[in-house]
Amino acid sequence: MPSSIPAELSGAAVQQAGRAKESGFSLMLSELRVLFGRRRTWALLLALAAIPVLVAVAVRVSSTVPPGRGPAFLDRISQNGLFVAFTAMLVSVPLFLPLTVGVVAGDTIAGEASHGTLRYLLVAPAGRVRLLLVKYAGALVFCVVAPLTVGVAGAAIGAALFPVGPVTLLSGDVIQPAEAAVRILLIAAYLAVSLAGLSAVGLFLSTLTVVPVGAMAATVVASVVSQVLDQLPQLEWLHPWLFSHYWLGFGDMLRQPLLWDSFIDNALLQAGYIAVFGALAYGRFVTKDVLS
Amino acid sequence: MGSWVRWIPAVAAPAIIAAGVLAGTIPARAGNPLPEKTPAEVLAAVQEHKAHTFSGTIEQSSDVGLPELPAGPSSGPASAGGAASMIELLTGERTARVYMDGKTKVRLQLVDRLAERDLVRRDRDVWFYSSKDNSTAHVTLPATPEDLPLPVHPDQPAPGTPPADRPEPGAAELPTPGDIAENLLAKVDPTTAVTVGEDVEVAGRTAYNLLLEPRTEATLVGQVAIAVDGETGMPLSVEVTPRGAAAPSYTAGFTSLSLDVPDDSLFTFVPPPGSTVKELQAADSPRWPLSFRAPGMIITPEQLTAIRTHPARPSVTGKGWEAVVEIPAAAAGGTLAESLMRDPLLAHAAVVVPGGRLLSTTLLNVLIADDGRIFAGMVPPDQLQAAASAAP
Repeated sequence: MPSSIPAELSGAAVQQAGRAKESGFSLMLSELRVLFGRRRTWALLLALAAIPVLVAVAVRVSSTVPPGRGPAFLDRISQNGLFVAFTAMLVSVPLFLPLTVGVVAGDTIAGEASHGTLRYLLVAPAGRVRLLLVKYAGALVFCVVAPLTVGVAGAAIGAALFPVGPVTLLSGDVIQPAEAAVRILLIAAYLAVSLAGLSAVGLFLSTLTVVPVGAMAATVVASVVSQVLDQLPQLEWLHPWLFSHYWLGFGDMLRQPLLWDSFIDNALLQAGYIAVFGALAYGRFVTKDVLS
Repeated sequence: MGSWVRWIPAVAAPAIIAAGVLAGTIPARAGNPLPEKTPAEVLAAVQEHKAHTFSGTIEQSSDVGLPELPAGPSSGPASAGGAASMIELLTGERTARVYMDGKTKVRLQLVDRLAERDLVRRDRDVWFYSSKDNSTAHVTLPATPEDLPLPVHPDQPAPGTPPADRPEPGAAELPTPGDIAENLLAKVDPTTAVTVGEDVEVAGRTAYNLLLEPRTEATLVGQVAIAVDGETGMPLSVEVTPRGAAAPSYTAGFTSLSLDVPDDSLFTFVPPPGSTVKELQAADSPRWPLSFRAPGMIITPEQLTAIRTHPARPSVTGKGWEAVVEIPAAAAGGTLAESLMRDPLLAHAAVVVPGGRLLSTTLLNVLIADDGRIFAGMVPPDQLQAAASAAP
């Protein structure tokens, strides 16, 4: 029973505190090892990498795309392969990225609970808070890796199928491929920040249930609902508060000079979501009866 | 220990965020109050201002009561067609970045979602660029300053004339900016009350708040507020509030402003590879080259020329704030009213009233009469109808 665990450990508490930092680090390492050792994680990343491949192949086999049709940058791909990365990141923002992040974030606590491994992870006095932090950090690492996968796969397949040359920014200025690579990384960073709030929502939902699929689905639904609300002009007052509001603002990374306004606004908004849903997850998780 | 303690952070986090947001919305008191100035002195400061080197971000937002379009990832302003952009001009928010280094080096960037429209001017070369279809247009300006499409300030010395600071014969008779301001105030005084309100803060700068209030009840405009930078005299923002409304319908102003010299490379534009370059003739485009793929340009340059050159020119009835502009049907060739109504969104927004169809906003009413004449003014709709029935 959980209540007996702290009693057993009280003798070792001093020693435990000294090793707290070290064990937090090793907990993080093992969390990442578990996350990226999973076949499911790789399947998610593979699915994300397939998006630019599909885009690139579709453009390669079809006739020229007339300018102004389809998603932004689509018409530029045949002239410059690096635009595959931009188009693919744009296409994956509304659904694919939130979907994969929802799966990972929704699984964090509920997944352990459903496997019956949660109580074994909670054998230290400060275990719950640390576990929550480690789980969230793991989800954040996935948030960084996921858009990066799309961007890198897009640049790679684009370079393989199309010529690569100087990239025209939205402002009409031209940058060299090396600087374009930096812009791809900046967009990946923007998207990673964008997904941090959704991860916090997923983490909270994950503490509510022992059925991971429920938490995953709820997280994805939350992202869809947020985007739908963002489309309704009647709810304009609400828009700046929706975590998906700045998701498509990453185009500001493709201007000259760089426009940081939306990046900063987005980061502040996501920080707010992390604070609120992190605190909710904390409240729920430390008061929860862990039975499995 | 009660488990409720664990929920304190969950309550505190939103509370702290709410408090922070509320604190941010309280209008910042000017820390260093500006010296008192009369409206004439503020106007003179605007006339005299020489801040033509800056970089800043301008935001414009208007909520004039027209229906809004759902802005989706694929149907955003950037990708929407002409009709949507026309409405976009009247509703919602837009952002632009402006860089200026003197009056002859200008870069203007209209920031759309995943798109951008640029105007780059270096001396006589002006480039237009639209990222949506990667199109470029170029125009070489005529050399004479009078023909420049950019507003030429009275204090701008024309090329060849001596600098203003050198005393010239007869300089004493030249009106000073202060005189011009006094004259202007005297002219508007019968129709408009001009006052200086409490200092405001715009883009982090303390500014005088010049308030214009129509003296008549027969206009939709309640108040126009112009923020004038206390240090440089540069106008920083404009807010227009409809009569009886608490919040402005239209605001445009700087959200950030730096008086440093912008990077010179910003004013150099080379058409990007793959871009179609259209060479415009300056003679064809006495003002802005309107035909340049400006999204939302429903009125074609041909129609505009027709309106300008036709004997039956637009006429104005009424004075000051009550002015009503009439565009005769003949001048528009019957096409202007038709093309306006062909726009499905405008047609949807227009309501049928006796004598025509009415496009009603909080600041401007447009009456498209059944016979093709167009009446527009910042007046209540019944005055437009009266003007329509009065004029044969």
